[in-house]
Formats: sequence, structure tokens, C-alpha cells
Amino acid sequence: MSATTVRTRTFVQALNEALDISLARDPNVYLLGEDIAEMGGDFGVTRGLWAKYGAERVRDTPLSEAAIIGTAVGSAMVGLRPVAEIMFADFLGECYDQLVNNAAKMHYMFDGQFKASIVVRTACGGGFGGGPHHSQSVEGWFLNVPGMVIVAPATPADAKGLLLASIENDNPILFLEHKALYRLKGEVPEGHYTTPLRKAAIARPGKDVTVVATMKMVHEALAAASELEQEGIDVEVIDLRTIRPYDAETVLASVHKTGRAVVANEAPKLGGLAAELSATISEECFRALKAPVVRVAGLDAPIPFSLVLETYILPGKKQVVEGIRSVLRA
Amino acid sequence: MALDIETLVDLYRDMWLIRAFEFGLEREFKKGNVPGMLHTGVGQEATQAALAAHLKATDCFFPDHRCHGINALAQEKHQGDGERIMAELFGRATGVCSGKGGSLHSANPRVGNFGDNAVEGSYMATVLGVALAWQMRKQPNVACCIIGDGTVGRGEFHESLNMAAIWKLPVLYACVNNGYAISMPVGKGHASADIVDLARGYGMPCVQVDGNEIELAYAEVARAVDSIRAGNGPYFLEFKTWRWQGLFSGEFRPAEEVRYWKEDRDPIRLARQKIGAQSSLQAADLDRIEAEVVQQIETWIDFAKNSPMPDPAKATADVYVGGEELR
Ligand SMILES: Cc1ncc(C[n+]2csc(CCOP(=O)(O)OP(=O)(O)O)c2C)c(N)n1
Ligand SMILES: [Mg+2]
Repeated sequence: MSATTVRTRTFVQALNEALDISLARDPNVYLLGEDIAEMGGDFGVTRGLWAKYGAERVRDTPLSEAAIIGTAVGSAMVGLRPVAEIMFADFLGECYDQLVNNAAKMHYMFDGQFKASIVVRTACGGGFGGGPHHSQSVEGWFLNVPGMVIVAPATPADAKGLLLASIENDNPILFLEHKALYRLKGEVPEGHYTTPLRKAAIARPGKDVTVVATMKMVHEALAAASELEQEGIDVEVIDLRTIRPYDAETVLASVHKTGRAVVANEAPKLGGLAAELSATISEECFRALKAPVVRVAGLDAPIPFSLVLETYILPGKKQVVEGIRSVLRA
Repeated sequence: MALDIETLVDLYRDMWLIRAFEFGLEREFKKGNVPGMLHTGVGQEATQAALAAHLKATDCFFPDHRCHGINALAQEKHQGDGERIMAELFGRATGVCSGKGGSLHSANPRVGNFGDNAVEGSYMATVLGVALAWQMRKQPNVACCIIGDGTVGRGEFHESLNMAAIWKLPVLYACVNNGYAISMPVGKGHASADIVDLARGYGMPCVQVDGNEIELAYAEVARAVDSIRAGNGPYFLEFKTWRWQGLFSGEFRPAEEVRYWKEDRDPIRLARQKIGAQSSLQAADLDRIEAEVVQQIETWIDFAKNSPMPDPAKATADVYVGGEELR
């Protein structure tokens, strides 16, 4: 076993390290996106990489989301490993066709003759007054698309390990970075390592109730679990990490053990990740369940600007606590 | 600049291969042997043959929905198995995509065919990436995308031409202006009926060519490809042509327009006249070429019909590279 040094890093720094390592290790890796080069990206994730690797491999683009994804896919067709940045996930509508109809289907419809080995990093999620077009949770937009991979880290260590694994994977990967986590600090191992895709993590073991969450909601769930611990309620928190295709085995094993499940997702309830998880748990664990699955999700509205309104819309620790109480009551 | 007679006759054969392919396919489609939708390239053979003549297997082209012909030509020229394009259209296991793609999604990178996309012209964006990779690797290849006049209405047209221009990418835009997008006349759907007018602002060479004159089309493609290989950046070619296929519901264009294009401007007939005037070849020699090609296409159709259907279990294979486990 090699002794790995573990340091404290922010989520942004962890992502930056993953990109740096990838660029250094593999000449086929390059980055493209708006203002990612000299400026280092809107959130600083690519800071310093342009100076280190040059404008060819850390490439500024015009405001052309479809062309950014098209370029990424086309270059992957001939063997490059692009990492594209779409500044805000809300703009994925601009390149939805490129992702859904081209990247996600290419390997399948052309019978394995091409691989769309691309990573699309994007900042998602609300909580900072970004308003209707800078705050959305978009996983539901892509959940129904076979061929798409959706990765969503919750910690700095996973941000780095999952980004490295994503860049090295041969599938088209939508890599979601929740804006509220960018400044989060955590222990991050030095150097190269990968965190397996499609493998959930048990963020907190427990025996009374399972909470399945992603990204920021993992932290809301952990906070809820700490609060309920005072009352002797033992909550297991599962961080899904990869949203599509997801690790049903870990989720179902946990629910079989606890008999109670809450799924927590920031997006609206209707047709979203919470709905999918709830349906699968209900189908697969019906006999083990002591109560109906509870979905903790965003309210069914666009994300409003005023923080009072936004706070009302988005789920947090309070809603997770209420969700847990309600599955325990039933 | 007149073409040498051997080249002209080769192109004549290529054009007939495209037409015979489409005629045979249409016949089988009407019999119910070909599933889905069918858009044919009859009338546009000179454009496709000219492109196929200059694109190497190491270049790439993104074919449009009327490109069975160029797909088959590239497949036959570089790999000697054009019948696998036919088999793909019949949805058979022997097709280039084992029946998963069909008419609108046939690809084979080994012959430079990077695949159609039935969301018209989405590959105007994809072509940029192929071109960028070749530019970064200093490979003098040409990345071509074939787009209809109607397809130019998409936002990707702007994004693509702009990005190709600022990065000087080796992209050949081959715009097939056949006058209509389904029922929409080109001059009604765009600010100009001449697509080169729309492309000029991006600062690349923009050339309009008679797409039914094989010699002219051949020469312009040669010039464009040379310029791109020399590192001069993107190039826009607009081929003025006309598609014989009307709407699925039938013919909608004025009778005189139909007569003009089918009789006076048929690219195969025009080439035939040229060959007759420039060589000692007789009508019988040219008829023999036509008969040979028609015969070849019939063997392709037989191959397709006699090929096995795909195994239904394959329908869920290859969704992910490395399977659901994402290995
Ligand atoms: C993005 C998109 N919009 C609409 C369609 C439906 N459609 C198929 S062919 C076509 C017309 C295309 O016209 P043009 O590009 O001129 O090609 P032509 O058929 O004339 O060769 C349309 C609208 C489509 N397939 N994709
Ligand atoms: Mg047209």
C-alpha cells in the first residue's frame, strides 16, 4: 500500500487537481468552454491550467453551446478525450440535441463504431438567488436518456476521484457540480486516484431509515441525521454519486435492512430522480417496507429570484427531517 | 478545364451507381421490404459523385438524408462491400450498423463515413470536433458535412461556420441547394435563395457551383479540398441542384419546373452528352455501363434480402461502452 498524503482542499480545488492530472497524464485530454482559459472559468475550476498547458488544450470558445458539445463529440469520434464546460446547467437546453440525440446514441446507433467519450462539466443547483435560469437541477432532463451517464459528487474527494474516472471512461458523461458545494472543504488525497462510477457511497451508516440523496442534499440529509441522532433515530445516508445508470444494489440492500426509505432530490418531484428511486424501491422492496417511500423534493415551480421565495421552493434539512419522521410514524 | 475521358466515364458510372441504388431501393420500399422513411438522392448524383471522388477514406464526411448513394459509393470504393449499405437499409444484421441505424444513421469510419443524423444537420457541430482533432494532430484531412438548403435554417449553421472560421478548421461545407426543404422554397425560408450569401460573412471562400454539371462540381470540390489540405481553413461550397423526389404525398412543384430539371438538367444525361461529344464512346458503351451497374445493384438487393435479421437480444447491447457497469 502506498501511503497517500491527504490534504484539505475545496471542491473547486479538487476538480482543478483532477483536470491538471488528466492533462498531464494523457495528451488526448483537452478542455473547452466559455472563459475557461486565461480567466479560469466562472467558478475558477480551470484556474492556472491555460498557463500550464496552453491555449490549444485549454480552449476558450464563443458563446456557442451546441458547437461546444458538437466539437467535443466530433473530437471524441477520432480518439480525443474532451472535457467541456457548460457554464451553467440551465444552458444545457442549448445543446440538448447534441447530448441526447448524438452523444448518448452514437455508440449504440452506429453499432459500436464510435465512442462519444466526453465529459461535460456544469454548475447546477440553487440556493444563491441565481433566479430561474441559473439555479436549476437538470438531472431529470437527462434521466430518461439511455446512453447518458450522469455523475454528481457531494464531497471534494469524490469530486476529484469521480472526475478522473469520468475522463478515463468511454461514455458521454454529464458531470454535475452543485454550486453550493464549490467552497466546501474536505480531505482530498494527493495525486491520481479514481472513484468508481455507478457505485453509491454509504455516507453514514444507520439502521432505522435509509435516506438516498445526491450532491447538496447529501449534506442536508447528514445534518438531518445528526439532529435525529439526539432522539435515538439511526439514519443511514446513501450518496448515490452516479445518477444514471445508478447503483440500485446498494440502495435496495440498505432499504431491505432498514425497511424505511426517504429519497431527497432538489429538483421538482414530478418525473424526477426522486420519483425514479421511489418507484424502484417500492417495486423491489415492497415486502420489506414498513411504510410508503417518502419523496423530499423541490416544489413544482421554476426557481424564483428572491431568497425568501427560493428558500420556500427548495428542500433542505428541515424537509428531510420531516420526511424521516413521517416514514417512522407510518 | 475539361476532364480526361477516363475520369469522366468513371464519374458517369458512379452517378449511375447512385441512381440505380436509389431506384432499386424505391422499388423495394414500395413493396414493403424496406422499413421506415425513404429520402432519395436522385437528381443530385453529380454532387455526390464529385464529393466521393475527392474524399479519401482517411477524410470524413457526414452524409445527409439523401446520401445513400455516396455512402454506398464510399463503401464500395474503399472496402468493396457496397451491399452492406443496402443491407443496413433493409435492417439486416449484415448492414454497416447491424441494422441499428438504417437509412438515416448509416456509418462506417473505415471508409470515412461518420454517419448521418436524422436531426437534420446536427453534425454541423460535430464536424468541428473531427476537424479540430486533425488540426491538433497536424493531419491534412478534410472533414466534410453535407447539408441541405433547409438545414441551413438551424442555429448550428451559425455556430459551426463561426467556430470553423475563428479556429481555421479543415471543414468542407457541402450545401446541397435543391430548392426546397420538404415544401418550403429556399427563397422563402431564408433571407437569400443563394446560401453562399448567408455564408460569406464568416470570411471563408464561398463558391456556388452548378451541382448538375459533373465536370464543374468535380473541379470545384478539387479546389476546395486542396485549399483545406493546404491549411487555409474552412471552405463553403453550394451546389445548385434539384431533387427528383417530391413529397411523400406526391409531386408539388410546377410541371414545367419538373420537366426542365428531369429532361434538360439531368446530371446523368448531361454527362452522357459530354462523353459522346468528347470521345469515341458510343451510346451502346454507355448503356452497357448502366446495365452493369443496375445488375450490380440487383445483387446487392439480393444480398440484403437474403441476409439474416438482427438477433433481438442485441437491441439492448452497446447502450453503454463497457455495459451498464460502465467499465
Ligand atoms: C432538426 C430537424 N427539423 C426538421 C426535420 C424534418 N425534416 C426532415 S427533411 C426536412 C427538410 C430538409 O430540407 P433540406 O435541408 O433542404 O434537404 P432536402 O430534403 O431538400 O434534401 C425536414 C424539415 C428534421 N429531420 N430535423
Ligand atoms: Mg432542400
